Amino acid sequence: MRRAAAVVTAGVVLSLVVAAPGWAHGIVGKQDLPIPTWMFGWAAALALIVSFVGLAFGWREPRLAQARERALGRLPQSLEIVTGAIGVFLFGLTVYAGLQGAQNFQTNLAPVMIFITFWVGVALASLVFGDVFSALNPWRAVGRTVGWIARRLGQDVEPLAYPQWLGRWPAAFWLLAFGWLELASQDRNDPSYLATLAMVYAGIQLCGMAVYGERAWTANADGFAVFFRFLGRLAPLRWERGRVALRPPGVGVVGLDTAVRGTTAVVLISIGTTSFDGFSVGSIWNDARQSLETLFRDVGFGGTSPLMLAATVGLLGAIAVVSGFYYLGLAGVRSIDRSRSLGELGRLFAHTLVPIAAAYVFAHYFSLLTADGQAIAPLLSDPLGHGSDLLGTADWTPNLGWISANAIWYIQIAALLAGHITGLILAHDRALELYEDGTTATRSQYWMLAVMVGFTSLALWLLSVGNA
Amino acid sequence: MSQRQRLVLLGLAVLVAAVALLVAGTGDGGDDDVIDTRTTATVAETTPAGTTSTSTAPAQPQEAKPRDPAPPTVVVRDGQPVGGVERFRFRKGSTIVLVVRSDAPAHVHLHGYDVLKDVEAGGSARFSVPAKIDGRFEVELEDTATLIAEVEVVP
Repeated sequence: MRRAAAVVTAGVVLSLVVAAPGWAHGIVGKQDLPIPTWMFGWAAALALIVSFVGLAFGWREPRLAQARERALGRLPQSLEIVTGAIGVFLFGLTVYAGLQGAQNFQTNLAPVMIFITFWVGVALASLVFGDVFSALNPWRAVGRTVGWIARRLGQDVEPLAYPQWLGRWPAAFWLLAFGWLELASQDRNDPSYLATLAMVYAGIQLCGMAVYGERAWTANADGFAVFFRFLGRLAPLRWERGRVALRPPGVGVVGLDTAVRGTTAVVLISIGTTSFDGFSVGSIWNDARQSLETLFRDVGFGGTSPLMLAATVGLLGAIAVVSGFYYLGLAGVRSIDRSRSLGELGRLFAHTLVPIAAAYVFAHYFSLLTADGQAIAPLLSDPLGHGSDLLGTADWTPNLGWISANAIWYIQIAALLAGHITGLILAHDRALELYEDGTTATRSQYWMLAVMVGFTSLALWLLSVGNA
Repeated sequence: MSQRQRLVLLGLAVLVAAVALLVAGTGDGGDDDVIDTRTTATVAETTPAGTTSTSTAPAQPQEAKPRDPAPPTVVVRDGQPVGGVERFRFRKGSTIVLVVRSDAPAHVHLHGYDVLKDVEAGGSARFSVPAKIDGRFEVELEDTATLIAEVEVVP
């Protein structure tokens, strides 16, 4: 791809309004029961207790940055070609099904593949196995193949330097756009709409990789790659050019280059969108939404626009609240540490939010994966919804009852507490790195403790919010 | 971190634990609004034990077949649920009973359990499903994807 011809302006995506029947709700066979109030109370109390005890006995010297890894071996580089091919195949299948298949979100492969198998499945897999998406990423695979061919033909061009000032803001933007698609768009379950968006996104990524080089682009401007890589850093496995190493879980995120601009935005947007997802089933939002919808209708918006606009307001509001809370806590830290700006502090502690973001995603979506996510099996046999049975699983019906509500509650709470503890440990260690003076380090820790307890309590509250 | 600070933090931890236990001890069950369709059956089972059947009363004054006094009902008018979307709670292990009336013909779908019932214009359909899966399930008019009720099965 020649550089000049490949420059394309993004931002066309959100203006794509496809006239299609708007499904008012997402793919739902079953929704989680809200956690009982007493459970919420206990979990919040537990989080507090653990935090105080942990802070009291926390270690005195920063040690996470030197955490030891144990090499496990290596996998052949050619495996990446296979996984890349799988990714490309699944992407192609999804787009094809979206465009050519039945335009019904329950019988078409695209919505389940995109919102569950891809978004939740890859996220949770990343927490366990590391950055799996870099191996499966379809547009990256295509980009690298094209680059390889170009090099062979002597046609490759030196990539432009990726602009420092932009940093990870494009990734943050894409995550916001995806969150908007999931929570506010009225066409979110329209298979052909999804397929079109997927192609546009892939196209933009390919152009970006052509101009700035695959490595710099994927690390900064590919929203999904960036997010999954962040999550992958929490995993106990680390992959580097085929070499696998074992490390303590959660530690890998310390090496996250948080100096890159937009890094904090990526994590805050993730927490904010997941928060809104949880908040939107509650009664407070129900009332607020109706007021907003009436407002937009009175102003003149017709059709389903008021619903979309109200949800957009809610989504942006949730991100604002989450960000405001984080920076409020940091303002407290700043009262002790006057040498650094708020933004700087935000970046220095941004990695401590990654386990929180991971816990939020896990708590809100893991049961979606285990329940509705099962639908991927029959859908793979009949991706177009036309009655085929390619793998023999077309008659399979998801078993929605294999995990009881009680089990789901305990798993959700355990995930949130694990994320909370990891976040606290990371914040503690970072404070020790930054402040040689023990007193300052401890005092900064009180603020970060408040931030962490706040986020965890918010998450627990969101899990209980549908109780009305 | 001085010894005193450490003690304060541990003291706070103990305080939180104490408060939590205190609140837990005085809390209530709070299980209202759960329609337990098992109890109607057990009530019917225990009544015969009390009857002394020496009299020749014309008909056994036993309870007739156990019937819910007023089954949970959703009335659909012009494609919308009258009174808004209501949430009906059932206990896991009992039976989900729901009656849907509609002025226009409709296909009503109970998600999760995946039960589809047709309603004629002016008629009604009765769902009677064993509540095996706990969770929250939407009941909607399939053609217009309109939510008309929610069924909640609690453990």
